Amino acid sequence: MYSLIVKMAWKNSFLRPARTLLVVAMITVSMSMMLGIQGLYDGMAENMIDKNRRSGSGDITFYAKEYRVQKDLKYRIKNASAIKDELKNMQGVKSVVLRVRADGLLSTARKSSFSFMQGIDIKEENHFGRFSEFLKEGEIKLENGDAVIGLELAKKLKLHIGSKVVFSTQDVMGEINSVALKIRGIVQTTNIELDDGAIFIDIKDIHRFLGTSSGDATQIAVVCKDEGLIGRLQTKYGGLDVKSFLELQPMMKMMQDIMFIFNSITFFIVMSVVFVGIFGVMYVSILDRIREFGIMLGLGMHYKYIRLQIFIEAMFVGLIGYLGGAIFGAILLIYLRDYGVDLSSFSDALEMWGYEAIIHGTIKISYFTTTFVAIITASLLSVIIPLRKIKKLNPIEVIKAEK
Amino acid sequence: MFKFALKNILFYRGRSIATFILTFISSVLLILFISMQDGSHNSMLKNSLKIYTGAIEIYHKGYRDIGGNEYLIQDTKSIMEKLAKIDAIEAFSSRYETYGLLSNGEHSAASMVAGVSPNKEMVLSSLHLALKEGKFLDENSGNSIYMGSELAKKLKLHVGDEVAFVGGASDNSFAADIFRVCGIFKTGLFEFDSSVSFLSRSYFDELMYAKNRASYINIKLKNLDDLDRVNSEIVRIINDKNLESLTWKTLMDTMVEAMEVDNIFGYISLSLFLVVIFFVIMIYDFINISSRIKEFGVLRCVGLSKKNIFALLFYEIFILSSLAVVIAAPIATCICYYYSINPIVINGIAEMYRDYGVVSDEIPFSFSIPTILWNLSIIYLLNFLSILYPYFYINSFKPIEATRHV
Repeated sequence: MYSLIVKMAWKNSFLRPARTLLVVAMITVSMSMMLGIQGLYDGMAENMIDKNRRSGSGDITFYAKEYRVQKDLKYRIKNASAIKDELKNMQGVKSVVLRVRADGLLSTARKSSFSFMQGIDIKEENHFGRFSEFLKEGEIKLENGDAVIGLELAKKLKLHIGSKVVFSTQDVMGEINSVALKIRGIVQTTNIELDDGAIFIDIKDIHRFLGTSSGDATQIAVVCKDEGLIGRLQTKYGGLDVKSFLELQPMMKMMQDIMFIFNSITFFIVMSVVFVGIFGVMYVSILDRIREFGIMLGLGMHYKYIRLQIFIEAMFVGLIGYLGGAIFGAILLIYLRDYGVDLSSFSDALEMWGYEAIIHGTIKISYFTTTFVAIITASLLSVIIPLRKIKKLNPIEVIKAEK
Repeated sequence: MFKFALKNILFYRGRSIATFILTFISSVLLILFISMQDGSHNSMLKNSLKIYTGAIEIYHKGYRDIGGNEYLIQDTKSIMEKLAKIDAIEAFSSRYETYGLLSNGEHSAASMVAGVSPNKEMVLSSLHLALKEGKFLDENSGNSIYMGSELAKKLKLHVGDEVAFVGGASDNSFAADIFRVCGIFKTGLFEFDSSVSFLSRSYFDELMYAKNRASYINIKLKNLDDLDRVNSEIVRIINDKNLESLTWKTLMDTMVEAMEVDNIFGYISLSLFLVVIFFVIMIYDFINISSRIKEFGVLRCVGLSKKNIFALLFYEIFILSSLAVVIAAPIATCICYYYSINPIVINGIAEMYRDYGVVSDEIPFSFSIPTILWNLSIIYLLNFLSILYPYFYINSFKPIEATRHV
């Protein structure tokens, strides 16, 4: 009985093939477009968050109390090396780096700009966040007065590989001090603060330049595997300002939330309109065959079998549309992930915003599962009103009625 | 044919209502979306122009790309005399900008220090309106410095405090002086507030050896719509190959480009809704038309041509679209107008997006009748396209065959 119902449902799904194919095309096109847009927007946000995490604060960051407000060397962590060693031995900690930062003025012979010098240990930074992957031009070399500079700052000062610059700032004694540096590399981290204002030198050189001791740091950044670690660290290091990535980057959190809300609203609206489309076709399809259903009821077929047949019909249409959408959507997502959207002609604007000129998408299984549930639900819901019409049918009247 | 179409619309009510509702929704959605997008972009540009950047700025060629004292404008006075002859210019003034270190005790910070003519600046920019504490500069304010709020915070300075300055003069010599803070401003542009300070040119020129020299000349127009025409006139009147006159479109090219990118992403999102709605309208048209094949067959048999059939379908969709648009357009226009005067306020959005040049929590809508008309024409176009497939479908039947269609 059931196999007969499935066969009938399948055949009836294609009773008016042009109509069914239009619905399938609608689901396929809207679903694949929606998946592409979701993947692209999520990819943009995730890429930005990932690179900000790797180049900046990691998962957890330590500052001395007051440092984030004052940005003054006076508020540095004086026993940073010892804390770093303790952290490295903790369970769940993957990597720890120390950084020293000083705000000042970066000048060429012709131009000047506000900037900050960041002392880093390149080996540890590579382990921490694959810093070398941010290289855009030149090489990552931080020896004997060599420096690496953020992309936007280099653009602002018209700097190239080999350019010489002078960085002036106040040292730990409060004296104005300057250092000459040679640009060896230009990096794009997509972290706006770093790209706009950072010049990176070796941490030992910055200690020498600022007069700080080798165990000092203005920032300790931690990459960890354990999400609960931050609570323990905040308790243990109560004298320090211990913050999570999203606490330090509320804009990223807001961006994630906005993307989620935007994608949810888009999803809801698109699925509602898709529902209207399926409903129209299923409603007309059932009305067209109202005599047929009357005869079936007249012959003694139970209403529940007719209901099942119609549900299966709707599911077939939805399922075929979903499969089309999933295939085209997956192709689109793979393309966006592997090749991205090349917006090089707008590179200045995108780089100013912290994006790369080629924007890559991402693929999540949840795109397919949620869409599957939504389309099948929309398909099944779309036949409820037509089914109520069938339920109220008087078989004899329907059979007698003019077609 | 028009009357016939009208009757069909009333007869096939289900399809008519669905098409009407979907067209109405897509019209309102499109108008509001574009209005909000344009409005927020215009607001960002206006805020930037109002604060400091001029509608037109004149530079010595090479100053922006290479920089350095040899690219300063050397004879500002003669250029200003020429500019005074152009009626369309409301105000103009020269500015001298340099970078230096400001120090207060153990605190120091890099700053762009600009020499401005305070009286002219009050017409050219809204710097004086951004005053938070103290007072704005005047022509005789001597060594008074007008400083961004974030910079003052960084240097722990208050109105009346002294601050030391070290920088380079226009002849490449060292320049150093003590300034007194006369006022603190807050524009909302974070980078600007944390890095810029101003002095009166009469004092600053002496210190920087910059009399009759300028980094650039800033020009405000009576009517911004005359931008390109006035710029051409300036180029003609100045007639100096070493100078370049640039409009805000070039001066803020990155921001203009950023808005184009934002538009692209906006259109991508919007296109998804429009495509889905287009499909649904087409499906309803198709369902309706495929149930009338017999009717179309009879019409063809009694002498109606394919053109007449197309006209009939066209009138049907035109009437339905027009009905939806006639109701949607005034509603959407009123909403746009209301929010263009009373912008939506999202508290904290400026603070959150300060790195992106957002200076206000307000999101104003743009109110532009040509843009609304352009949006509505897209809706019409999509609706007209939606009848093409159904039209070709009915034409695939021969008239006799169509009359027998079940």
